Amino acid sequence: MDYKVEVRIELKQGVIDAEGETIQKSLKLLGYPIEKVSSVKVYIIEVKAISKEDAEKKINEACRRLLANPVIQNYSLSVKNA
Amino acid sequence: MGCRIGEGMKMRVCVLFMEGTNCEDETRRAFEQIGLEAELVHLKQLTGDVIPELRRNLGDYSVLMIPGGWSAGDYVRAGAIFAARIKSKLREDIKDFIEDGKLVLGVCNGFQVLTELGLLPAFEGISETPEAALTNNANGRFQCRPVYLKHTGKCRFTEKIGEDNVLQIPVAHAEGRFTFGENDEKYLEKLIENEQIVFRYCRADGSDALGEFPWNPNGSLYDIAGICNPEKNVLGMMPHPERVVDGIQQADWTRKKKGRGDGRIFFESIRECLKRGF
Amino acid sequence: MPEPYRKILDNVYEIDLLEADDSDFERISKEKSLGLSLEELKKIRDYFKRERRNPTDVELEAFAQSWSEHCCYKSSKPILKRTVFTIKAPQNICVIAEDAGVVDFNKEYAYVVALESHNHPSALDPYGGAATGIGGILRDVVCMGAQPIALIDPLFFGPLNYKEKLPKGTKHPQYLFKGVVSGIADYGNRVGIPTIAGMVEFHESYISNCLVNVGCIGIIRKDEVVHSRVGNVGDVYIMAGGKTGRDGIHGVSFASAELGEESEKKDIPAVQLGYAIMKEPLMHACLEANKKKLLTGMKDFGGGGLSCVSSEMAYAGNKGAVIELDNVPLKQEGMAPWEIWVSESQERMMMSVRPENVKKVLKIFEFWDVPATVVGRADDTKRIKAVYKGKTVLDLDLDFLLKGVVYDRPAKYVARDEADPGFKMPDLEDTALRMLNSPRVGSRESIIRRYDHEVRGNTILKPMQGKINHQTHGDAAVIKPLVDSFQGLAITADVNPIFCKQDPYWGAASAVDEAVRNLVSVNSRPHSMADCLNFGNPEKEDRMADLIKACEGLYFAANAFETPFVSGNVSLYNEGVKGPIAPTPTLLGIGIVKDVRKTVSSDLKETGNILYLVGKTGQEMGGSEYYRMLGLKGGLVPRVYPEKTKKSMNCILKAMDKKLVRSCHDLSTGGLLVAAAEMAFGGDLGVELDISEGNMRTDYKLFSESNGRWLIEVRKKDAERFESVVDAKKIGRTTKDGKLKIKDGKIDLELPLEELRDKWDAALEKE
Repeated sequence: MDYKVEVRIELKQGVIDAEGETIQKSLKLLGYPIEKVSSVKVYIIEVKAISKEDAEKKINEACRRLLANPVIQNYSLSVKNA
Repeated sequence: MGCRIGEGMKMRVCVLFMEGTNCEDETRRAFEQIGLEAELVHLKQLTGDVIPELRRNLGDYSVLMIPGGWSAGDYVRAGAIFAARIKSKLREDIKDFIEDGKLVLGVCNGFQVLTELGLLPAFEGISETPEAALTNNANGRFQCRPVYLKHTGKCRFTEKIGEDNVLQIPVAHAEGRFTFGENDEKYLEKLIENEQIVFRYCRADGSDALGEFPWNPNGSLYDIAGICNPEKNVLGMMPHPERVVDGIQQADWTRKKKGRGDGRIFFESIRECLKRGF
Repeated sequence: MPEPYRKILDNVYEIDLLEADDSDFERISKEKSLGLSLEELKKIRDYFKRERRNPTDVELEAFAQSWSEHCCYKSSKPILKRTVFTIKAPQNICVIAEDAGVVDFNKEYAYVVALESHNHPSALDPYGGAATGIGGILRDVVCMGAQPIALIDPLFFGPLNYKEKLPKGTKHPQYLFKGVVSGIADYGNRVGIPTIAGMVEFHESYISNCLVNVGCIGIIRKDEVVHSRVGNVGDVYIMAGGKTGRDGIHGVSFASAELGEESEKKDIPAVQLGYAIMKEPLMHACLEANKKKLLTGMKDFGGGGLSCVSSEMAYAGNKGAVIELDNVPLKQEGMAPWEIWVSESQERMMMSVRPENVKKVLKIFEFWDVPATVVGRADDTKRIKAVYKGKTVLDLDLDFLLKGVVYDRPAKYVARDEADPGFKMPDLEDTALRMLNSPRVGSRESIIRRYDHEVRGNTILKPMQGKINHQTHGDAAVIKPLVDSFQGLAITADVNPIFCKQDPYWGAASAVDEAVRNLVSVNSRPHSMADCLNFGNPEKEDRMADLIKACEGLYFAANAFETPFVSGNVSLYNEGVKGPIAPTPTLLGIGIVKDVRKTVSSDLKETGNILYLVGKTGQEMGGSEYYRMLGLKGGLVPRVYPEKTKKSMNCILKAMDKKLVRSCHDLSTGGLLVAAAEMAFGGDLGVELDISEGNMRTDYKLFSESNGRWLIEVRKKDAERFESVVDAKKIGRTTKDGKLKIKDGKIDLELPLEELRDKWDAALEKE
């Protein structure tokens, strides 16, 4: 079956978010009263799996192997039927 | 550790690249300038995804060098995709390569790849997941500038540089801030204890950069510019020695008596290490 | 009015031109966003009368591409042909005619030059627009078969601190500036070609219409030059690189009209998206295929997409061609043939290949993981045809399509007030500090460091020069393109739009003079130039007149300096919220360095050396930064005296070859004061000047921007020899007291360099 998995990757607390800060500065320059921006990466992955759990397991592994670096990043995922 | 490199063996350097790598030409040139044979090898040639006559075997080389660039666009994280592709097909080859005492070197993006691969710092051998990260420069910007480096380590193939010697070598990166995340303190101690820190950013006179920009261009922990594994045969560094092999490549050469570039001794040191055969 | 469209195939319509009246023409042009005038549509109708049929929508779109200002230079061609195209020089190998100019480097090698604008896309999407500008200029060089070795990016924005309300749909200069710099950095750094030179200018006229010009230099063995034309009848067209999508549709007509309030919403599809990681292997694969002599022609997909590339290649080879639209790899389903025909999706190349070599070429692209597909074939019909689902949907006479249209547009020059205003000399210390803090003068370091300027390891003189972490602006960067030769190329980008606004003729001529000065400063002999002519709407007489004057000024100066224009581009319809942009004929200057080991940088080297001024300072304050800062108008723009300056140039180069010159910097924006300060910054040394000679006012002496001048540092022991070679005035010495001291008769100025440096560093954004 096809599943759609949304992976959300965030920087751990305390890690400098240079991208977020840069964007915050630019938005302020455009005139918005914005004090904080955090950058988050979201991947929407379509995967074939035998069950929801199986899909979760596969993408969990993919996160560990490639998508997230545990030293600086946390990740979370949610699985939906495609 | 046993060593199989020595007299009679070909001392070939494998300069490994994939799409987005972009320092491969000058890297090969640097090795050739000091008399080592270097070959540009596409990752596909090692993983066997090419016609037979183009296939290459990692075991045939003495040095594996991963040069700088933006492998796979540095999407996901700098070096992550390159690392994942190496891991999926060449894991055993690389493990053997390192255990044979051969040399692995990563510069800039190559350092990021080695860290993502778990080959550095590799406290307890090659790690499954990364133990460190090279992340966004503290000022959030790409930096292309000359920096001073102090040779503080005892890496097998930088011996010729001499302890506490200062080199002027350029950096060019957006993600070069070395960190252990929440484990900064604990692991830094370990790095120091193991004598794994090979290069630290410093001031022109060799005194500590103390994290201050621009001496430390990216805000790296403890001014770390390059580290090796505990066995001292895998080295990763952010600065680009291949860009300053000749005197006229140095940023301030018009102010000095002409001579050799500060990167040359780095490559000569590799050559001597190979000749010595450890 | 009857419906002028008739469906003849899925997604293909025949358009009733033969029976159309004026209101139909207007409707068709508008509905299809063709950007063609009534006259042009009538000309097309007459053509189809002769063909005894109505056109398809694909065909009309083809005309819209090929007849756009961007593609056929219909407004500028007559004046270009009279001026900048006419400079003949022995170093020219293949100039003006193709995507990039090919110029003699040494016996075996040539260098390749391209310069282009990417203005309108960048004004809408600064990041993407600038990035794809880099992509396009790289392809222009690669399609000659050359290895790119350097990128150059002259940029022009409105004031970064602009406070007034902006019209709807207009983005703030600060936002445009940041986006453009990030776009260039992210794309340029990824493709691994060093960005070694450029310039940044600020002027109110660029608000809402910033200029992003991009240049590229390449190197090639002369016997490997490949041309933008098919070689033989029967040659196969291979399309390589990115897939074709709906991005960048109507890019050329959008580049050939003024931006408006609606542009933001309406024109976004005209902005293409770049994909640097496709470009890098695409370059490798194209160059490898060419090196192996497998190509008979190569051209990049630029403005006008498949339409222009396939037609122009066939036409240039005096052949015809058939393109199979069904074979073109697409990004999305359901694209209409006209969309495929005109899409300007990035990272695509077209090659013509002998049938027996097709397999070999495809194999090379397969190794590099770059998609490559056979899409057509050259024939001897001198017509271009496109086939879709087995049916011909386009069949046009190439001569008619590509000869295009030319206009000798009316022009009326609006004379400027050249009278000098009377004013009291302001406090000089304060003025000096303000001058160094001016965004037009201040340090560019925070931009320069964001570009990798030394990847490939061949950048011998970098854009920032001097003591580490005290570096200053260099005049030109120097590249050593070949491993086994010390011969080099010096590269600079120059134009002073404030000069050009006050006087387009002398402003343009001054740009040539400045390029020459910069090239000489590093010890190179000026060799060739490329021009990117950015002007306003040519349908307005005053803008047209400025364009003509500027071209005449360029011709006068470049012809006298014997530096031919080898490549270039024209960008018209640049109109900001405050009227036309300042006339901006951006120049890329290239010099030959005999021996890169003898290049000279701009930073002072030692204390106790003598400073010489070469050239004459005049009261030519029109368009100067000094007047602008004080809010003064009028004045004479500096004149150009090529014979005098050439003499100085030859003497300086001679002195440099004898190693008598320790550092050298040309005098430009901000005059003598800025030049001296910048040299001092780079060496972390002090300067003492005595400018008492002559009876001009001190402020004019310090801030005049007269052409033909250099400031040169010489060792005391070499002074006599230097003076015997160069006609120069001794005006000061280098010191170690950290001050810039200036004496003019009774006036004594003492400026702490640290304070000057702080102002200079903070003018844009502190690094």
